[in-house]
Parts: sequence; C-alpha cells; structure tokens
Amino acid sequence: MPASLWPSWAEMLRFLPEIILTVAGTLIMMLEPVLGSRSRRGLGQFALAGLSAALAAAVVADGSPGPAFSNMLVVDGFATFFRVLVLAVGILTVCSSYPYLNREGASSGEYWALLLFSITGQCVMASANELIMVFIGIEISSISSYVLAGYLRDDKRANEAALKYFLLGSFATAFLLYGIALVYGAAKSTNLAVVRAAVEKGEAPLLLVGIAAALMFVGFAFKVSGAPFQMWAPDVYQGAPAPVSAFLSAGPKAAAFAVFLRVFMTAFQGVSDRWAPVVWISALLSMSIGNFAALRQSNLKRMLAYSSIAHAGYVLVAMAARSQSGSAAVMFYLAAYALMNMGAFAVVAHVAGKGERYVEIQDLAGLAQRQPLTAAALAVFLLSLIGVPLTGGFFGKFYIFKAALESRLIWLAVLGLLNSAVAAYYYLRILVVMYMEEPGEVTNGLGPLPLGLKAALAMPVVGLLVLGIFPSGLLDYAVKSAKFW
Amino acid sequence: MDHLLSIVLFTPLLGLLVLLFLPSSNKNLIRWWANLASFAGLLVSIPLITGFDRTKDFQFVETAAWIPSIGASYHLGIDGIGLVLVILTTLLGFLSILSSWTAIEDRLKEYYAFFLLQQVGMLGVFMALDFLLFFVFWETVLVPMYFIIAIWGGQRRAYAAIKFMIYTLIGSVLMLLGILALYFYHQSQFQVLSFDIADLMKTNLPAGVGWWVFWAFFLGFAVKVPMFPFHTWLPDAHTEAPTAGSVILASVLLKMGTYGFLRFSLPLLPDTSRNPQVVNIMAVLSIIGIIYGALACLMQKDWKKLVAYSSVSHLGYCTLGIFSLNPAGIAGSVIQQINHGISTGMLFLIVGIVYERRHTREIAEYGGLFKVMPVFSMVFLIAALSSMGMPPLNGFIGEFTILQGAYQMSFNWALWSAVGIALGAAYLLWLFQRTMLGEASEKNGKLLDLSPREIAVFAPLILAAFWIGLHPKPMFQVLERPVAQIVERVRPGYFAEHKLASPLTTPAASLR
Amino acid sequence: MTGVPLSWYLILSALLFALGVAGFLFRRNIITVFMSIELMLNAVNLSFVAFSYQLKQVNGHIFTFFVMVVAAAEAAVGLAIILTVFKNRETLNVDEVNSLKN
Repeated sequence: MPASLWPSWAEMLRFLPEIILTVAGTLIMMLEPVLGSRSRRGLGQFALAGLSAALAAAVVADGSPGPAFSNMLVVDGFATFFRVLVLAVGILTVCSSYPYLNREGASSGEYWALLLFSITGQCVMASANELIMVFIGIEISSISSYVLAGYLRDDKRANEAALKYFLLGSFATAFLLYGIALVYGAAKSTNLAVVRAAVEKGEAPLLLVGIAAALMFVGFAFKVSGAPFQMWAPDVYQGAPAPVSAFLSAGPKAAAFAVFLRVFMTAFQGVSDRWAPVVWISALLSMSIGNFAALRQSNLKRMLAYSSIAHAGYVLVAMAARSQSGSAAVMFYLAAYALMNMGAFAVVAHVAGKGERYVEIQDLAGLAQRQPLTAAALAVFLLSLIGVPLTGGFFGKFYIFKAALESRLIWLAVLGLLNSAVAAYYYLRILVVMYMEEPGEVTNGLGPLPLGLKAALAMPVVGLLVLGIFPSGLLDYAVKSAKFW
Repeated sequence: MDHLLSIVLFTPLLGLLVLLFLPSSNKNLIRWWANLASFAGLLVSIPLITGFDRTKDFQFVETAAWIPSIGASYHLGIDGIGLVLVILTTLLGFLSILSSWTAIEDRLKEYYAFFLLQQVGMLGVFMALDFLLFFVFWETVLVPMYFIIAIWGGQRRAYAAIKFMIYTLIGSVLMLLGILALYFYHQSQFQVLSFDIADLMKTNLPAGVGWWVFWAFFLGFAVKVPMFPFHTWLPDAHTEAPTAGSVILASVLLKMGTYGFLRFSLPLLPDTSRNPQVVNIMAVLSIIGIIYGALACLMQKDWKKLVAYSSVSHLGYCTLGIFSLNPAGIAGSVIQQINHGISTGMLFLIVGIVYERRHTREIAEYGGLFKVMPVFSMVFLIAALSSMGMPPLNGFIGEFTILQGAYQMSFNWALWSAVGIALGAAYLLWLFQRTMLGEASEKNGKLLDLSPREIAVFAPLILAAFWIGLHPKPMFQVLERPVAQIVERVRPGYFAEHKLASPLTTPAASLR
Repeated sequence: MTGVPLSWYLILSALLFALGVAGFLFRRNIITVFMSIELMLNAVNLSFVAFSYQLKQVNGHIFTFFVMVVAAAEAAVGLAIILTVFKNRETLNVDEVNSLKN
C-alpha cells in the first residue's frame, strides 16, 4: 500500500495530459453559458489550445517515465506514442470541425468538450496498465464518441449512426468486461504484469484464461472494427458528421489498438500461440471483407468506412506477427493511417456542402480543375492508402508485411499484399473521377477552402511525405518503445 | 565530382519544384522551363560518359544513411549497363518533353510535373544499389505514368490507366515479398540487416526458397517487361497514353523490367537462374512473346497498337538474350534494349505526329504520305528499318548478337527468333506500304511535313541509330565487364571453360 | 465460503450474460435491446463480486462500483440517443432504423 493517498508530483506529471484535457473540457462547458455568442466561437480555439498544451505535456511526461497511481497507469514510450498520436488526431479534428460546424450552424461548446473528454479517455487507454483502467478509458472515450456521432440531433442519419454505435459499442464493452472479470478470477489481479506472470507460470487456470482472452478479443475486435465484428463501422461512418467519422476512424481506433496490443502482448503473452490463429483469421477476413465491400460502394464515406475495416485488417496482420517489430509496425501504421484517413475525410467534409448532401464519389468530378490543391491533397491521401512509395502508407505496409514474414506468416503476407493491390482499384477510381471527369454541379459550386480545413489538409500531407521519405525517426521510436518488458 | 549521380538524379526534381511555383496561366513559360529542366538533366548526365572507367565495376558510388535500423541506405552507383540506361533515360526524357510542345494544351503544369517526377523515379531505378531504395523508385514511377495516361490519354484512358496500375502493383507487391524473403535469409546467415545488393548477393538460399524468390521477382519484372502472358496491359496503356507518355513507357519504363532481371534475378539467384527448367520456361515465354507479338502486329488496324505489340515482340528478344546466360546473349539484350528505346520511341513519335495532324490512328485512313511528307517518310523508313534489324542500323547489331547467344544455347531458340525477325520485317514493311506509299487521299493531301522542332526531336535518335549500327564497339566495350560479371556469377568458370579471355581479369592485369 | 460454491455463481453469471446476448440479438425493441446490455453488465458484476469474495479481496467489489457508475453514464447517454431517434422517426423498432445503406 502506498504511504500516502496523495499521489506524488512525478505521478501527477505523468497524468498531466489527461488533467489538462479534463480541465479544459470542463472549463468549456462552464464558460459556454457565461460567454456571449461571439466569444463562444472562441471555444474551438480554446479546445485547440488545450490539446496543444496536453500534447506538450505528453512529450514532457515522456522525460520521466514510470508508473502512476499505484501502478494503475504507466507512462512509457508506447503510452507516449499513442498519447501524442490521439492528441494530434484531436488537433486535426478541431481544425476540420471548426469550419464544418460553422457551416452547419451547429457550433457549440459541448462539441469541443465532448471531443476533449473522448481524447482524455483515449489517453487513459494508451497509458493503462491495468484492466479496469482499460475499461474506464474505453468507456470515457466511447460514451463521448456516441454523443459526437449523433451530434447533429435533427439529422436522421446521425441519429441512426449514434444509435448503432451506442448499441453495438456497449454490447462489445460488455464482452470486454466479462473477459476482465474472468481474468480477475483466474489471476487474482487485474494488473497486466501480475496477470502475465500468473499466466506464464501456469497458476491461472488455462480454461478460464482462454475464455477470458476470447471474450476480450471480441470486445477489442469490435472497437477496432476487425472482422467478424466490423458491421457497425459502415453505418456509423456514413451517418456521423464527416469530421466525427474522421475522428472515430483514427483516434478511438488507434487507442483501441494500443490497449489491444498491450493487453494481448503482456497479459496473454503466455498463451500467444493460442490467440495468434484467431488474429490471423480475423486479419484475413477484415482485409478481404473491407476491400471487396469497398469495391462496390458509391458513397464516399461508406467506402472509406469499408477501407478502414481493411486497414484494421492490415494492422491485425502485424499483430499476428507477435513480435517487437510487429508491434512497432502496428504503431507506425496507425500513425500513418490516422494522417491519411483524417485528411481524406477532411476533403469529404469540404466537398459535402451544407447538410452533407454531396457524399457520392461522383460528386468529386472535376475537383482537380476547380481546386487543384485540394485534389492534390486527396490524391496524396489516396496514394498513401494504396501504399505507394514516397507516402507514409508505403512504409506502413512495408513494415507490416516485413514483420509478418519475419514471423513466418507467409500466406497471410501474400494474401494481404494481394488484397492491397485489389484495394488500389477503388482508390484509383476516385482519382479517375477527380482528375478525368469534367467538373460537375458540385465542384463548380464549391466555396473556397476555409482556413481550418487548409490546416487539416496541409498537416497530414506534410506528415505523410515526411514519413514516406524519412521514416527512420518514427520507426526507431516505435521499435524502441514496443518492448513489453 | 563525388555527387554526380545525385545531381543527375535530382536535377529533374529541382526543375519540378521550381515548376510548381510558376504561374499556370503562362503556358510558354512552363513549356520553356520544363524543356530547360529536362535538357539540363541531359547535360548533367554527360560527365557520366566521359568519367566512366570501363575497367571498374560500380562507379560514381554514393552512400548515405537512410533507414539504418532496417539496413536500408541511400546507395547509388552504376556499371556499364546502368550507364547506358541512365543515358537513354535522360535523352528520351528530354526528347519526350520536347515532343509535347504542341501536343499538350491543357493542364500543362501538371503534365510536365509528372514527366519530371517520372524521370526521377526511372533514373533512381537504374542507379539504386540498395534493394529497398530500388523498390521505392520502382513504385514511384507508377504514379506519374498513371496520371499521364489517365488525364491526357485517349478515349478509354480510365480503363487503361487503372489496368496498368493494378497489373504492375500486383506484380511488384509479390516482388516485395521476394525481396523480404531474401533479406531475412541474409539476416539469419550473417546476423546483419541489409538491403544492399552486394550484401544480399552473399546469401546462400536453400534451393526451394530460391525457386520461390525467383518467381516472386519474375512476377514483378515480367509484368513490367512485359513478358507473355502478362503483356495485356501494354497495348491498352500504349494506345491510350499521349504520345510522349507512350515514348517514355516503351523506351524506358519497360527496360526497368529487363534491367531487374539483369541486376537482381540473375546475380542474386544464380542457382535458380541456371536451372534448366527455369531457363526453358523463360525461353519459351520469350519466344511466344516474340512470335505472338509479331503476329498480333500483322492483324492490327490501329497504327499505335501495332507499334505497341511490336514492343512485346522486341522485348521478347531482350529476355531471350538474358536467359541465354552467355556474354553474347546478355550484351545483345542490353544493346537491344537501347535499340528498342531508340526505334520504338521514334515509331511512337511518328504515330503521334500524324495523329496530331489527322486525329486518327486507323492505318486505313492513311496512304501516300511519302509524296506529301517526304522528310517524315524518310524518318519513318529509318525507324522501321532500325526496328526490323536491318544493317547498317542499330537493330541489326542487337538482334544478331542475341541470335548468336541464343544459338549457343539451342538451335531451336535461334530458329524461332529468326522467324520473329522475318515477321517483324513483314509487319513493318507492310505498315510502311499501307501508310506511306500509294496515292494520297484528299484528307492526307495537305498534311504539313516535319517542323524544325520535330526534326530536332528525331535527329538525336537517328544519329544514335546509325552510330550504334555502324560503330557498336564502344557500346560493347562498356558492357563487356558488367556482362562478364553476370555470366561469371550465374555460370562460374564460363570463360575458362570456353577458353575465352575474361574481361574481368584481362584489363586489370594489363593495367598492372 | 459456506454453502453456495463459487462455480454456481459463475454459472449463474454466465447464464445471465447469455440471456443478455440473446436478448440483444433477438429482441426488436430498442429499449429492450438496451436493457439486455444492462443485464450483461450486471451479470459481469455478479462474477466480480463472486471472485472478490472467493479471493478475500475488496478489489472486485470496487470494480463493481466502477462498472455501475459507467453503466449509469452509459444509460444516460443511451436513453438520450434513443429519445432523439424516436423524435425523428416515431419508432422504436431496430429494424426500421435502417436508412443508411446503398
């Protein structure tokens, strides 16, 4: 037992990003009724400032790694990587949401507050060292995201998205929680390191551990939209407001992968040869279902949703490798994926127009002639999603399949690579529409790109090109921090 | 000049970066700048020829750290084969940009930007001595070509562009698997992570693995060459691409495939490459390509498609030469690659010139151009003769040397490729007769002959065709050493066995 | 542990959880579906308490409180979402909420 219930300053520092986010979110909610309508607009900037401060705090906290709050949380390279990632996703989300909400006339403080709370949850997930913290982090993140998905209250599509997201998300959480309860019973603790030791020493009953791992797998697979638990993703991404879809496909997903990886690589490390085949099958299914369904979509958001299922499949390939380089590949890929998907959704948000009326692929016709820079940015994102060199997506895939081969997952690598070649087709189709067709009604009536969206496009483009040409820095950091004791 | 290769590699990139900041409204400025940039690219590559030492292997070598944690480095260098291909690239890169002056009117900035980017990718492919770096450049080339076909192409450009991209992507992802397999075997044997070709060459692959890796490489390279039966993207891509795109595609891009066989398949996997079964499969596919391509040419009604199929046939000689696995075959293959770049480049330019004037590629629409456009017709005649391998033009040297090499392996190979040569003469002469001879119809009666700029485009190619045809010795000398390296690698002791003086030992000895 | 052995609690918990899953999958009324989820969470709580009692720890009891708080928050948000759906569509049948598709 700790001598004092009051945590030390070092522990507070390690938890500082979450503290900043919570305070900022609460402040926004408290300030909103006090402020006049004009200064309310500044709340978005305030959220941006909060996120930036949290980002800085996360970087600073990396300087004093270690556990916090009686080992409930741990700040290590892995946690920092994902905290920085979700905070960056948050910053991009604010940039693309700001003009979007103004256009929809739906700007309000609660949006920013919910966003900050959701990211708080993801930060907790990233640094959770304990299954109950995993659960709480996931719930903080999810409950806020449910509301965000249905933020446009009067929009039928958004309602439906929120409902489906909520029902299936809670359903998945229940599985996860049941798994946690069984782990607790089997290993007499929910601390990851203790559980790992109990499993490896054979103290925990194998049957119970097996059932627990299976249940938790179901829960996590739901959260990362991995097959066969991916069915909510298309509806939710299609119905939610575009910037929220962008956020959901990057932030919660990355954080969910972070805990997925951490739990399965530590607590269930001892039985990894049992769960590896399951991940193998799930990876293959996710890639194939995602890609082949995406081929048939005409709705841009729905297509991106299926593509995000496929990309979850690629990440699962790296997880199936069960190695340090596999975990590093997961991290690198999620970073690149967050950038490219956020960027692509930002373009969708721009083109969709008020009320998101134009979300068909065909609506992009001739974008390259009307707004060449927007089109070029989308081209970079799509090429990165395909995995073409000079973009981050290439090295992301490269590391994944390298890790897979290293672990002798030859067939999974072959099938995955073939999948990625098939996937090229539907991304290229967008390029065709954008570059080769004459501008239509939609692109002709397109307003100029607002400042926020400019930032939400420029940052990912630069990031992807840097990752695509000089991947070394990020990869080295990922490899270094992907050590699970 | 320590960084000569980097300078050659990045000159087009520099041009591209400046180009992006030019105002797109000023079309002439963009044209001038793009031409200037690519001409500068050609000029800076000339010191490579003057500074090349044919008694050494890889030259102008540069190494810099890139991704040290996985053993990938920025490692450039060229040997004789790389040299000729780099020069071919800079020359044709410039000529294709020059030839687009009037052909392209809209979205000029993007057009030239894609050409310059492509130039960087192609040069990188021929210079890279690191397998990962090579792969990055290899894939980079896809993107600009996709856009060039997709935006400035003909009617079915969307189909052609996507087909081109998907075919090549599938080929290259499987090649990537092969690369990684080799990489991991190297790691397990030497405990060093490296993508460097020199390091990977030391790897001792188990026979079964070598077999699989070979076919993984094969898929990547064969799609690009393209070898039968992976050629079906080529006629579509060529037919739909704008003229300059076709020129680059045929003259340089396809050579990336054959270069891949020479630089990677043979030296890295010598055991599999000399496996008689493999050699036979490759030879049969090459010969099918030669005959099938030629027969397809005879049936084409579309001028450009005919030239496209002739590429399939000609590249068949190149792969046949490579898998003859002897000095004559391989040297002939490299020379034939250059020849094909020159002659097919000219043929595509020729189609482009008539297309620009008449907007049709139907062979039946033409006829009697000889009287209307005499200069043009002479150029066409030279290109056709060069393509069919008529002495004293360049094609003869290449095809004859390959036949020599093929004959040493098997009489049948030589026989069938000779049949291909005969068919080649048939379709080209028939094409010439149908388009150039006879009476000019009304529509063709007033066509303008070549403009000075167009002549300027053809002149270097014609000169090169005659030069290689009449004085091929420097070419052979440059290729002698790298070719001998490959042969010694695949068939150790070849030179001693055949009582030949090995170029690997003689010049060095004489220097000492 | 006198009387009721641990396994009975676990079996009961599993049964309740299975009932919740079945309810989620087969009931069509959104409120009932939502209740099924709550049933699943409470089934888990039962396991937590049973394990906690067996292990002579208080952790499990505390976890139960966490779960209850989270479930309450989830219920608040969930009911609000269900309410807006009902306002917009005048239905509480899950099968009729299906406007998102191609």
